[in-house]
Parts: sequence; structure tokens; C-alpha cells
Amino acid sequence: MKVAFFLSIAILSLLASWSSSSPSLSFLGIAPQDENYFRKETIKCRNGSRKFTKAQLNDDFCDCLDGTDEPGTSACPEGKFYCRNVGHLPTSLYSSMVNDGICDCCDGSDEYDGKVKCRNTCWEAGKKARDKLQKLIDMYREGVTIRKREVEQAKEAISKDKAELSVLKAEEKSLDKLVNQLKVRKEQIEKAEGKEQLEKDNEDRPNVQENFESTEASGKEDSLTSEDDVIGLVEQEESKSEHEDTNVAEDGSESIEDMSKEEIGRLVASRWTGERTGQVEETGSGADSNEGKDGSLNKPSDGDSEKNVYDHHQSSITDDLDSSSVVHEPGLDKQTQFLGFTIHIQSWLRKMQDVSQNLLRSVSWFSSPLDNLDADKIRKEYKESTARLSSAQERISSLTEKLKHDLGVDGEFYTLYGQCFETKQDKYVYKICPFKEAVQEEGQYHKTQLGYWEKFEESYSAMLFSNGAGCWNGPRRSIKVKLRCGLKTELTDVDEPSRCEYLAVLSTPLGCLDGKLKELEGKLEMLQKEKPEGHDEL
Amino acid sequence: MASRIGGCRRPFLLLFLLSLASQTAFSWKKDEFRNCNQTPFCKRARSRKPGACTLIADQVSISDGLLTAKLIPRPIASQEEGEENQQIAKPLLLSVAIYQGGILRLKIDEDPALDPPKTRFQVPEVVVSEFDETMLWLSRVSTEILDGDSAPSSVVYLSDGYEAVLRHDPFELFVREKSSKSRLVSLNSHQLFDFEELRVKNEGEEWEERFKGHTDTRPYGPQSISFDVSFYGAEFVSGLPEHATSLALKPTKGPGVDDSEPYRLFNLDVFEYLQESPFGLYGSIPLMIALGKSGKSSGFFWLNSAEMQIDVLAEGWNADSGLSLPSDQKRIDTLWMSEAGIVDAFFFAGAGPKDVVSQYTAVTGKPAMPQHFATAYHQCRWNYRDEEDVENVDAKFDEHDIPYDVLWLDIEHTDGKRYMTWDSVMFPHPEEMQKKLAAKGRHMVTIVDPHIKRDDNYYIHKEASEKGYYVKDSSGKDFDGWCWPGSSSYLDVLSPEVRSWFSDKFGFDSYKGSTPSLYIWNDMNEPSVFNGPEISMPRDALHFGGVEHRELHNAYGYFYHMATSNGLVKRGDGKDRPFVLSRAFFAGTQRFGSVWTGDNTADWDHLRASVPMILTLGLSGISFSGADVGGFFGNPEPELLVRWYQLGAFYPFFRAHAHQDTKRREPWLFGERNTKLIRQAIHVRYMLLPYFYTVFRESNTTGLPIMRPLWMEFPSDEATFNNDEAFMVGSSLLVQGIYTERAKHVSVYLPGKELWYDLLSGSQYKGSQTHKLVALEDRIPAFQRAGTIIPRKDRYRRSSTQMVNDPYTLVIALNSSRAAEGELYIDDGKSFEFLQGAYIHRRFVFSNGKLTSLDLTPNNKSSKFTSQTVIERIILLGYSPGPKNALIKPRNEKVEVGLGPLVLETGLGSSSLVVTIRKPSLPVDKDWTVELV
Repeated sequence: MKVAFFLSIAILSLLASWSSSSPSLSFLGIAPQDENYFRKETIKCRNGSRKFTKAQLNDDFCDCLDGTDEPGTSACPEGKFYCRNVGHLPTSLYSSMVNDGICDCCDGSDEYDGKVKCRNTCWEAGKKARDKLQKLIDMYREGVTIRKREVEQAKEAISKDKAELSVLKAEEKSLDKLVNQLKVRKEQIEKAEGKEQLEKDNEDRPNVQENFESTEASGKEDSLTSEDDVIGLVEQEESKSEHEDTNVAEDGSESIEDMSKEEIGRLVASRWTGERTGQVEETGSGADSNEGKDGSLNKPSDGDSEKNVYDHHQSSITDDLDSSSVVHEPGLDKQTQFLGFTIHIQSWLRKMQDVSQNLLRSVSWFSSPLDNLDADKIRKEYKESTARLSSAQERISSLTEKLKHDLGVDGEFYTLYGQCFETKQDKYVYKICPFKEAVQEEGQYHKTQLGYWEKFEESYSAMLFSNGAGCWNGPRRSIKVKLRCGLKTELTDVDEPSRCEYLAVLSTPLGCLDGKLKELEGKLEMLQKEKPEGHDEL
Repeated sequence: MASRIGGCRRPFLLLFLLSLASQTAFSWKKDEFRNCNQTPFCKRARSRKPGACTLIADQVSISDGLLTAKLIPRPIASQEEGEENQQIAKPLLLSVAIYQGGILRLKIDEDPALDPPKTRFQVPEVVVSEFDETMLWLSRVSTEILDGDSAPSSVVYLSDGYEAVLRHDPFELFVREKSSKSRLVSLNSHQLFDFEELRVKNEGEEWEERFKGHTDTRPYGPQSISFDVSFYGAEFVSGLPEHATSLALKPTKGPGVDDSEPYRLFNLDVFEYLQESPFGLYGSIPLMIALGKSGKSSGFFWLNSAEMQIDVLAEGWNADSGLSLPSDQKRIDTLWMSEAGIVDAFFFAGAGPKDVVSQYTAVTGKPAMPQHFATAYHQCRWNYRDEEDVENVDAKFDEHDIPYDVLWLDIEHTDGKRYMTWDSVMFPHPEEMQKKLAAKGRHMVTIVDPHIKRDDNYYIHKEASEKGYYVKDSSGKDFDGWCWPGSSSYLDVLSPEVRSWFSDKFGFDSYKGSTPSLYIWNDMNEPSVFNGPEISMPRDALHFGGVEHRELHNAYGYFYHMATSNGLVKRGDGKDRPFVLSRAFFAGTQRFGSVWTGDNTADWDHLRASVPMILTLGLSGISFSGADVGGFFGNPEPELLVRWYQLGAFYPFFRAHAHQDTKRREPWLFGERNTKLIRQAIHVRYMLLPYFYTVFRESNTTGLPIMRPLWMEFPSDEATFNNDEAFMVGSSLLVQGIYTERAKHVSVYLPGKELWYDLLSGSQYKGSQTHKLVALEDRIPAFQRAGTIIPRKDRYRRSSTQMVNDPYTLVIALNSSRAAEGELYIDDGKSFEFLQGAYIHRRFVFSNGKLTSLDLTPNNKSSKFTSQTVIERIILLGYSPGPKNALIKPRNEKVEVGLGPLVLETGLGSSSLVVTIRKPSLPVDKDWTVELV
């Protein structure tokens, strides 16, 4: 009875404060647009399960499981309480928050049993919200414009790249043909030379051809070796850390008697924490203590990741060249440079083709003794053409690599290709290179791979890098980079909400979507509509 | 399931588990811990043959109300040939005391008058002072010659139905029924009793013990005690926490036991522990309870805090011993071995299992009454990283409409693992943070561990080292071990002065950044010492009064828990009930707070193992306990997490916790469906809080567990004896976990003759039957026992704090006589006023269509508690619809009776409707009747 008494007092006082349009005291917690539903003598539970009478509406006893009959009380756990929040946005609360002694609605309408007095803060809160929203909208407007421009630029650049690619491909074909012709000729010359040589000397000397070829081969190998070196180096590091870890992890129990008390303490603590122990921690080689147990954890085993390691190496060289502070690599410049190179190839090619054809024609197939001048010429041409061909192929593969990526609906993410963004948080520098990788750097030497590019997620509103360095007792590291609307492209926030699962925010004009702007504008419009004429009574 | 994992299969299980664990860097390392063969006292005791003891009781008499005797070697003439047992050099003193309620206490120690090199350690402050007052002053002893004996036996009164018999030669002590003379519990029936008296080192004798590079100097030499205890008429024995084993303890030695290792009681911080292992875990209670066919139960408790090893001997273990025991009685024999201390043993005569627990808790104290909030849901993780994290997690609970009461901070919240400090970067505003939580009625718990960082700028260390409050190493210097903070020392909490000093550190003026809504968690108090032998403290470390750590070890955590708990009482001027969770425990821990089962693992086996572990703790007095929901190590699949929440909602202590390397697993992180399932599981707990709190109060007054084995409620139903998959919450609720992935069906045995009602759908099931049920996604099987009344609150809130004024629902489950009974206990949920009678305690009785509310509070109470809360709904299960009205008296008002849902949550329960008395608005603190008309 007492409850009912409180309820009616509270409702009456609430009624007094409401505008005169409020229809009935039992309509507490009902949205205005829903009031008609409740204007009958018998009302249906929304889930259709049963019916209830008007007297049972908000009588503080739950009749409908879905809470239809108790929009204004806490009686039904699944009920929702509607706060009008005049001056701000209306909200819908869980019934668990009605009369729980905590003010949830800014108009205080959720607390009416007299146990707590809630101040109406809708007007202040609303104004703050509107101002904030306005600022956000202003930024979005500018951002959307920038985005449009960037999208155009990206489209243009992509089509240029594509055009370049097709030109390059055509020319790769003809270059390839030329190189082959030169090669055949070169071999004939060399064969002839060999024969001549044999005739000249009766001694058994290593022939020129072999000599030449071996030099060539070793040259090729050289370039290969440098690649191998990179991988080998990584592997070496891996196996080194593996070795260290083995000491820690596996020899631990056996060598425990040789360890100092402190070492034992650290070792045992590391079981729970996975932290490296003792000096190993200080050298900070980056690997976690158990990675060594399974050396392959860090070592890319499939072709893809091997390639990544290679790329990674290349990029660090590039970065060094770019000088440390400027991570932002202006993609356009690079492009022009490559474009220039292509044009250069084209004109050179035309010239070369003529020259070579002439050369090929002029050199008599069977003339003997050989004209040394001609032979040298052929060799030189062959060498140059080969170099040109491999340059062209390199460029083709880099363009193909770039264009094979999902660059967004309008290719808008083209502008992020080849760029890196970084931010410093505490002792770590986080570096995100879209389409490539994400790393965490601590000081100069301690680098942890947070992940390699995987894909866009959540309809291009987030980038996912996965398969990073393994975690002790946990998954491989990964990072999700959420895109937010911002006027500059910068990394603003990095967090590790779950162990080894990182979350970052990249603010960029690319995140300023027109649709979202419209939505915000709509929201502001609604907020302004809710503004009461004279809100003194609040 | 446990029964299928018999002794012979254990090695395979171990292998299997080890292979599972091998994907993590480390797993449980068997060889890091001593087994019995590596433990000289255990090896020695275990290798002794029945009949080895040649002691007899001499000079038996009554003095100071006790039955006393001296144990001396049997005179040489009567000793059998070839016996070279080096028995005692000096007579031992024996005394038997009898206490009210069927409790016998046996003490055997060296005679202080004969100048032993050292006083043996007796564990102080475990036996409560009220117990001492219940001693019965013995004035009469009768003599009797037992069948086949030549020497007499002395018989004294124990209780109305039982008497105690001290057999003089050979020395034996047992409890028997007066009428039938059949035995109940006995000690030294196999003459395995052994007592290594302290002595001077013999020339050339080696006392040192070495294990894994650690040397134990053992300056006092061998001092172990062992003896056999037999339980007559027993079908199984239970107890001896803490082991991750089945509820009924499997034999550890004898025919059919392959992997013979006794149950070890030695508090250890075991990394990634395994189930089905007799190795010791974080706590130790040397209590064993036996149950026999007739529902008759007895118990045995050895108050001793040194390392203990206990064998449960398989039938036929002594086939070749030639000793004759009363053979008509089925019996379970056990062997108890301890490294040091004295014999201070308690025999509990039962007669039922509830009586045994009540007797045991009469000795060691009844469980503390927790604050109400502590009985709700706790959210923990190692670690909630910073204030922002805390704020976000807190907000997400509201956003998802999931109630919770307590947010926990693990070790990372401190400034470099200096407890009672805060990391200034991550937690710059601890008071503000706690106040924000408190504004929503929520509480916070921070961790405070016993290892103190050796840093002169740390105030605790500075004071403790200056005052000499640390445990000393064998050379007398402050013991220096390694733990989370690095080099650490350990407070000597055996000293009352140190405890008192330490408890003052919890004062608001001392613990900076603490507020009244902050409570405490004690971890690592085994104590865990990373570079110590078996990850603990050396046994020759020295405590207050020259006590060696070996003597005290198992009670170290107990005293630390005690100091912390007392600290919180002091902090609140004796007006605020403490809440302290501890990992280590000992007999009596129930007086200081709750316990959890330590670092479990996110797998189905650990989910299953949690039930017998918690049940065993409950039998041993620690009724407020739980396991980490979700599993501490590893990442649970959503299904496992959901099932764990569904089970955990019925644990007395309901907390989710996770290792720092695991993925975040707050309830909303696994998609909408799983969020809903977890919300529902937590809702079930909140709905049942009034019932839980009432059972907590029952436990507080009787010592009975919250979570009980089925056989505790149905001791004469043998089908319950091997069941540790299902359990009772209080006496009215039965819960069956689902312990397998993608379970289609679940079998549940419902004991007794009466019906059971599905807790959420109201469907009826017959008793004394195993039912094969469809495994539902949204809940595990739970049933209300016919003949009971369960009080609920059907409105969920952010936390239990906001539920205080919410109305109640009573669910009446009718039995075959169409009757039911239940209780409701309410107090302020916070203070100690209830001790002065400031509480509401009602008994609801339903019979002949009438519900009556009766007052159970005593008349002489000096304080009063009132409530404006009403009962908003009465549900009748098993009542055929018919009556349209109910008449309320004395108000003389008719209220409507109709059909309504059993639970107010779609998806939970079924759509079928049950008889409901609508809005009776009955004041909860008044007498009234409601009659269906």
C-alpha cells in the first residue's frame, strides 16, 4: 500500500511538472508516439502472449514478460523506461534503473519514489551535446570535402598506374624478345670464340664462355645472396633467441641448482607472467620467453610471410633513407619518379631496338675470325637490355602488388599505400604501415611485430593486421586500426585491451563519410527541435 | 564420471593432460614437489607394518575432568621376539577430553616435566574459546575387559548414544555406540602409532635434508608422528581439502592402487594444477568425514599445521598383518602422518553428516556472516589496467544490463607490487574511482599479499624490518625470498603483535587511497616463495617463539588471513563486516572470510573438478568458496564460459577471473547470444540472493555448507554417495552442472521420495530416479525440492545494493502432503548488529491451503531491524488452478489469484503458467496468513 501511495504522489508531482499535453498519469515511461497503444481498456502484451487491463498498466506488478504493462516501473526485468529529457535527447532505460536511487535520465524522471532527488540537467547537458555535435559536424564537412578530393586523386593515380602497367607489360614483352635474340647471338659469338681459342692454344685452358657464364651466374647469385642474407640473418637471430630460451625454459629445472636464488625466483615468477628473466629481459631481444620453445612461432614458414620479412627489410632501408623523422612518404613523388623512369625506358627501348637490329643484321653469322668489336657490342647490348628488362619487371611487380590490394570502394585508400604513421605512447613507438605491417618499437633495437596486413574490416572502417609475433601462452599479436574522421591523417591512440590484441585509432579524412555527416546533421536537427521555447520551469 | 577414472586409468589421464598442457610454456611440474618417497618421515611411516607400535596406556586415571594416561613401551618380557622397534625413550602424556555434542579430543605430547629439547608446536587460535567452555568434566571412568584382551580398557561417557574406550594394551582409542557396542571411529587399531621424540643428535647422524638444491638444516631432527584411524561401517570417506580430486576420496594404497601416493596436505602455490591428483594445493584441513549405508556419519580432525600425508587404504591392504579387528563391521582404514607437532585430534560421533560438520565447526568456529554484497557477483581480472579500464568495464555492465557488485584489482594496481600503494600513473585517483563505483552501490577489492618488497622507502618494509616483524631464516636474519616484487620478506603473522600491527595498516589513514567500499584479497599466502623449496618457505625458517616454519607451514596463510580480516574490522570500528578472500587456508579459515580454488584452467575438466573441490571445502567448514568462473589460465570457448557462469551462479562465492595473458572475457564480448546467456546466468544468482543470504545465515549459525553434497541432505540414499556432479544449495535447491561440450543430454539423479520442480520452468520430476534431460543452451538443470519455500527477488538492478527495497517473491513447492516450509533471513547486510538481534527471520509454512509467516527471532534481542519491503508475488508449484482469490489476515483483504510466469525473463523457463497470488503486498517483517479461497 505504501508503495502505491508513493507511486501516486510521485506521479502526481511529475505530472505537475510536465507540459499540459501529458495525457494520463499511468503513461509514465511511455514514449509519446506509443501512447495510443495504451489508450484502450484491454491492452495486449507486445509479444502477444496475453492481455492486461488499463488498471494493470504501471501498477508495479509484472504481467507481460516483455514489460509492456510496466513501462514506468521496475516490475518487469525486460521493460524499458522512456525519458523525455526535454532539452536534450530522449532516452530509453532498462527498467532495472527505475527507482534504483541513481539518477539516469537527465530530467530525473526515472527516480520518482522520493528516495532520491534528481536535478534536471537536460538543458545543460543538451547544450553541451549540441555544441559538441556542431563541432563534429563542422569537422565532418571539411573532412568530407578533403576525402572527395583524395578519392579523385586516388582514382586518377590508379588509372595512371594501370596505364603504366599495361605499357610496361607490352614493353616487357618486346624487351624480352630482344634480350632473347641478343642472348642467342651472344652465345653463337662465344661459341665461335671458344672454337677459335681452342684452335689457337693447344693447352687445356678454361674457356671463355664458361668463364663468362660463371661470372654472370655469380653476379646473379650475388643479388640472391643478399636476399638470402636477410632471411638468414633473421633466422640466425631466431635461432639465437631460441637457444637462449631453451636455456631458460628447458634447462631450467635441470640447471636450477646452479642458479642464484634471484634467478630461480625470476624464473618461477615468469611462469605466471611469461616475462623473460634476468639479463635476458634487459637485452630485450623482443621474443617472449617461450617463443623459443617453438622456434617457428616467429619464423615465417610459408612463402607469404617470408616475403613479408623481405619486404620488411626493404622498408627499413627505405625508412633509413627517408630520414627518421619523416615517416610520411609522399606517394605522389615516388610515382612521378617511376613514371619518369618508364618514359625513359620507352624512348631508350625504341632507340635500342633500332640499334640492336642493325647490329644483329650487320654482324655476319659466319664471319670468322670474329670481329671483336661486334662481339663486345653484342655483349654490352645484352647486358644493358637485361638490366632494363629486370627494372621493368621489378616495376611491374611493384605496381601489380599495389593494385592487387583492396583499396576501398573508390580506391580511396590508395593514398595510404606506402605510407607509415606513428605515435609514441609511454616508452613505445607504434608504427602502422597500411597494406604492410604494424610494429611496436621500444628504443632503437627492441622491435615487436604487431601484425602483417590482413584486410579492411567493418566496411572499411577498420584495418586489421594479424599474425604478428607470438605471445607467451597466448595468441600471435594482432592489431585493429579503427578509422576515425579527422582532418589530418595521424595515429592518435593505441591500446591493448586484451593481452597481445591491440587497438589503434587512425584519424583521417578518409574516415569522414558523407552518410555519417548526414546522420549527424539529422541528429543535431532533432536535438534542436527538442529545445523547449521557454525552459524556465526546468 | 570420476568413478570411471579409476586408479589404473590415472596415468593415462595425466599423460593426456600433460600433452594438453604442453602447448603452454610451463605446466605442472611433478618433480618440483616432493613425493612421499622423497619425504623421509612419510617414507618411514608408510613402510611400517601393522603391529609395529608396542605402546601401552599406563597410569590411566581421571584428573581435572580429563581421562589421562602415560604411553610407555610394553615391558620387554611381553614383547614379541625379533622386535627391534626403537620405541620411545620417555613416556608420552595422553589426555582425552569430552565436549558437548559428541566430541572427543585426544592429545598426546611429550611430557614437559621430562625436559624435551624443545616444546612441540600446538597450533594456537584455531580452536575457538566458546568450544573450551563446552568441555564436560569427566568424573567417572569404568573398566571393561574387551573380548580376547587380558588387559583392561577404560570407558568414559561421550554423549547420550556414544562412549569412548581407551584400550590399555595395546594402546587404542575408539568411539562406540553404547547400545550395540559397535565401533564408530578408532585410532591405532592397527598399531601403526609412532611418535618420534625430540632428542639429541647421535654421533655421525645426518639430520639435514636436501631437495632440488635446497637444504633443510633440520636442527631438531626427526619429530614426526603417524597413526592409523579407522572408520567403521563407512562406505566412503571425504574431506582433506585441498585436492583436485573426487568428493569421495579414492584409496591411495593397497590392492588395486597403481600410482600410490598419499593425499598430501602441504600448502603450495602449484602452477597449472591437475585434477585427479593427491598432491597438495593451496590450503590444508586435516578433517575426514565418513559416511555409511545407514546414513551414519563420523569424523576425525587432527589439529596440526605441519606437512601431513594421509593414506586412504584400500580394502585388503593389511591382508598379511595378522591383526584381528572386529570383522563384522565394514571399515575404511586410513594412515595419518605428520612431520612435526603433537597429536591434538578430535573424534566426531555424528550421527549424521550434518552433525559431523556441526561438531567440527563447534571446534573451529562457524563461518563468518558475509556482507550482502559479497554474496553477489564479482568481476575480476589480472588486471584491470587503469582507472579508465575500470570505468569502461563498469559502464559496460550497465550498458548491457548485467548486474555486478564488486570490481577487483590484481597485483598490477600497486606501485611496484608494494601492497597498499597505488601505481601513480595507472591509478592516480583511487579514492575517486572507488567513490564512483560506490555511487552505484558497487564495491572494490584490492589484492594485498604477504610478501613485502625489501625497499627501505616502502613504509611497510621500513617499519616491519625495524620492528623485527619478519620471519627469520635459519641463521636468524630476516628471511629474504623472491616473489612478485623481487626480493621480499614475509611478515611473521604467528606473532599476535605482528598481526595487530599489520591489521592497523588497513586503517583509512594508513592505507592511502582506500575508502570504506574497499575490501581485500589475500593471495600467495601459502606462502609462495618463488625461489624457495617447492615454491615456498624453507622449513627451517623461524617464527615467533622459536617455532620452525615446518611446524606452522599449513597455518601461515590462515594467520595472515586472520590479520587482514581483523584489520578490516578495526578499520570499520567493529561496525563493518570484513570481506577478505584468501587462497591459502587452514582449519578455522571460515571465521575470517572466503576462499577460492586458486589458479584453475579454462577447460571442461576443471569446470567439473570445481564442484567436488567446493563441496569438500564446505564439508570442512569453509562454506564461502568458489572457483574462478571461466578458468584462470587459458581462453575458454564461449560455450565453456557460458556453462561456467551457469554453474558459478550457484557457487557460494561467484567470481569471474582470468590470467593477464588471456583474452578479455567480460560477459559482453562473445556476441549478443552469449551476452544474453551470461546475463541470464547472473540474473539467476541475483534472483536467488534472498535465498542464498538465508542459507549463508544458516551456515553462520550451524556451520553447514552453502553448497552441499546430495548425501548431506539425503544421507540414507546410497545412490547419492558417488555423486559429485550435482549438489544442493541449502536444503531446497539441487543443481546439476553440464560438463561437456555441445552436450545434447544431461543425466541428473534426483534423490528422495518427493517430487522436484524445475527451478525455472516448474516442470515436475519424480525423486529416486535418474532423469535424462535435454541439455538446454540457456541453463543447467536446477530443481526446487518439493516441500520447500524459496524466497526470491525478481527485479534485477545494477548491483545487489539497489535491491534492498525491492519486493520479494515466494515460490512454494508443494510436497505430496500439499505442504511446504521455508525461511527468509534479512539484516542490514553490512554491520554486526545482527549479533544483537537486529534481523528479520521468518519461517513460512504452507499447509491446508494456507500460508503462514512466523517469527523466528528470539524475544530477548537488544536490537531490532525493520524493513518496509513487501512480498509482491506468491507462486505455488504443484497446486492445481482453481481458487480465484486469497484472503489475507489480519488485513482481511482479498487479493487476486491467477496464472502467471514462474520467472520474469523470456527465454528462461517455459511459457507455461503457474498459480500466482498477485500483489499480496505482505510486509516481510510481520505475522500474517494468506488463505486460498
